Amino acid sequence: MTDPRPLVLHLVDDATPGGVTRVLDQIRSCTLMARDARHEVRPVSRKGGLPRVQADLIVSHLAISWRSLPALISFRARHSGTPLVHVEHSYTEGFTALNVPFKARFFTLLRTAYALFDRVVAVSAPQANWLARRGLVRSDVLQVITPVVDLSAFRALNTPQGPALRIGAIGRLHRQKGFDTLIDAVRSLPQREISLHIHGTGEEEAALKARAAGDPRIVFHGHSEDPAAVMSHLDIVAMPSRWEAFGLVALEARAAGRPIVASGVDGLSQSAGPQALIVSTPSAEAWAAALSARLKRGSTPGAMDRCATAEREFAAAWGQLLADLAAPQELHIAA
Amino acid sequence: MPYASIVVPTFNSSATLGETLDALRTQNFRDLEIIVVNDGSTDDSVEIAQRHAARDGRVRIVEQPNRGLAGARNSGIAAARGAVIGFCDADDRWMPGKLAAHVAHLRAAPLVGLSYSGSVLIDQAGKPFGHAQKPRLRDVTTAHVFKRNPVGNGSAPVFRREALEAIAWRPAFETQRDWVFDETFRQSEDIECWLRFGLSTDWLIEGVPGLLTEYRVNATGLSARTEAQLASWERMVSKLRPRDPAFFARHEGAARAYQLRYLARRAISSGDADTACTYIDRALSSSRLPLREEPLRTGTTWLASRLLRHLGDAPIRAVRNMRAARG
Repeated sequence: MTDPRPLVLHLVDDATPGGVTRVLDQIRSCTLMARDARHEVRPVSRKGGLPRVQADLIVSHLAISWRSLPALISFRARHSGTPLVHVEHSYTEGFTALNVPFKARFFTLLRTAYALFDRVVAVSAPQANWLARRGLVRSDVLQVITPVVDLSAFRALNTPQGPALRIGAIGRLHRQKGFDTLIDAVRSLPQREISLHIHGTGEEEAALKARAAGDPRIVFHGHSEDPAAVMSHLDIVAMPSRWEAFGLVALEARAAGRPIVASGVDGLSQSAGPQALIVSTPSAEAWAAALSARLKRGSTPGAMDRCATAEREFAAAWGQLLADLAAPQELHIAA
Repeated sequence: MPYASIVVPTFNSSATLGETLDALRTQNFRDLEIIVVNDGSTDDSVEIAQRHAARDGRVRIVEQPNRGLAGARNSGIAAARGAVIGFCDADDRWMPGKLAAHVAHLRAAPLVGLSYSGSVLIDQAGKPFGHAQKPRLRDVTTAHVFKRNPVGNGSAPVFRREALEAIAWRPAFETQRDWVFDETFRQSEDIECWLRFGLSTDWLIEGVPGLLTEYRVNATGLSARTEAQLASWERMVSKLRPRDPAFFARHEGAARAYQLRYLARRAISSGDADTACTYIDRALSSSRLPLREEPLRTGTTWLASRLLRHLGDAPIRAVRNMRAARG
């Protein structure tokens, strides 16, 4: 007997243990999502072409570049009858400002690539606004689905009690995350009992360790396979990112009832939630002042909903997207 | 609602404000407002502005206690109603077609947030003396802004309103209006703004052809202030570095070399040989890039500083007189 559910195939070219991989794990394992469709994940290579596949809906989680564009065009041509969705996990206004010397050319690439898809999914409202403002995606094919991971282990954590002392920074050790500014800020704080816990690995590890050298309050923990356990040891989560399409760590911190201090760039202004303390000036002085203020208030974040409906909303949004695209005929008649 | 706003900060500029306002009122593009921000002048600047306002309803006056150039521009931005906002300091002039050129540019190029043009340098008497700023106009990267400041001066740019709003912020102690220019700077406030714009937004910075601004330079007392200018430039670098340390690690040495070369050239202009030699030597020890990117200009600066030291300023004066006679 064949499975009556439609097949949704997710193409991914990023195997690093970052946000994309974790969101795909959620898509693959979420029982709510499994009611509407079979979700399969197909890793593909960044080099060379894309395979011919059979599915009712194909979702690209691929990184768009001039090099990958021919493969994408060919893929679109070979799957002309299948609805194609792209989820934009990477690019934002902040990314463009700091990584793209020739912006007009980059916008041409994105406009060309996005035009191949029936739907482009932004991972945050600020990112969607940017895509629309720059004319990169037509408004009728653009929608927002904010990503999630399984938050149950985070919701199960007790809210930290007592004075706030342990600041956490979680993520790739890359200039994107702005941990250099955070280290400078913590170094400048006089309180001896506080500590900064940096979780993650990456190319900036040596430079960041050198920056923190001599300050025993700053501890590097490497990458952890258990993010909820990491969160359980923190009182405050700091996110000084220079660009951030969404920022899953913020969602996890909220689910765990941990207060957030964040830069507020791009999607972070949404993911960090309305109670986050936003540091709009990227300087060690501004961060030191914000951390001081936040530490004084203690670790209680106030009334928090712990993102109780995040997974359900995510599943519902994908279910709706599937209904919109994979059954266009019925929709047409209904309209 | 006027389509364009031009902000004219004025502080004791009665000698030149009249010609600035004449130049702005006679722009070919007429759908504009001129916002004169009187930054606590003690001369009759405000009376001059009032006379223009009486004759031309497009001229408005905003009063404030002295806050400096950046503060005056910020007050002007807060009062501006236009879809595009330009700046013209009260001792500079715009050519009649300048605003029209920028309006057309911003309309045709929706990705451009900051449109600028080249400038003719004028002396205290308002006469061109044979120098111009002829910057690169297209393919301008943030690195290029940092190293070569193609925008050139504070009377050159015309911004799209959304682009200015993208870099506005409200310091905690500020109660009245947002900042776009950083009022803690008394020098380098221009380049600080353009560079921050490049580092924090995805708007394009692009120029239009022509020397459309007449930019007045003060020939006296130049070299006396160069150290202060360098210090404010360094403060700008320290302020903006956390926005992208990798960018600064890559371009800072070359940008500093260009800045020092610029100061050397100013010292040469004012006949200060020792200062000129010191700056050009410091420039070349900071980075060799100006030699590779602009060998002629860098080489002549070095040569002129040496000639000035050994021969005095007679040869340079002679060249200048020849150019003036030709021009």
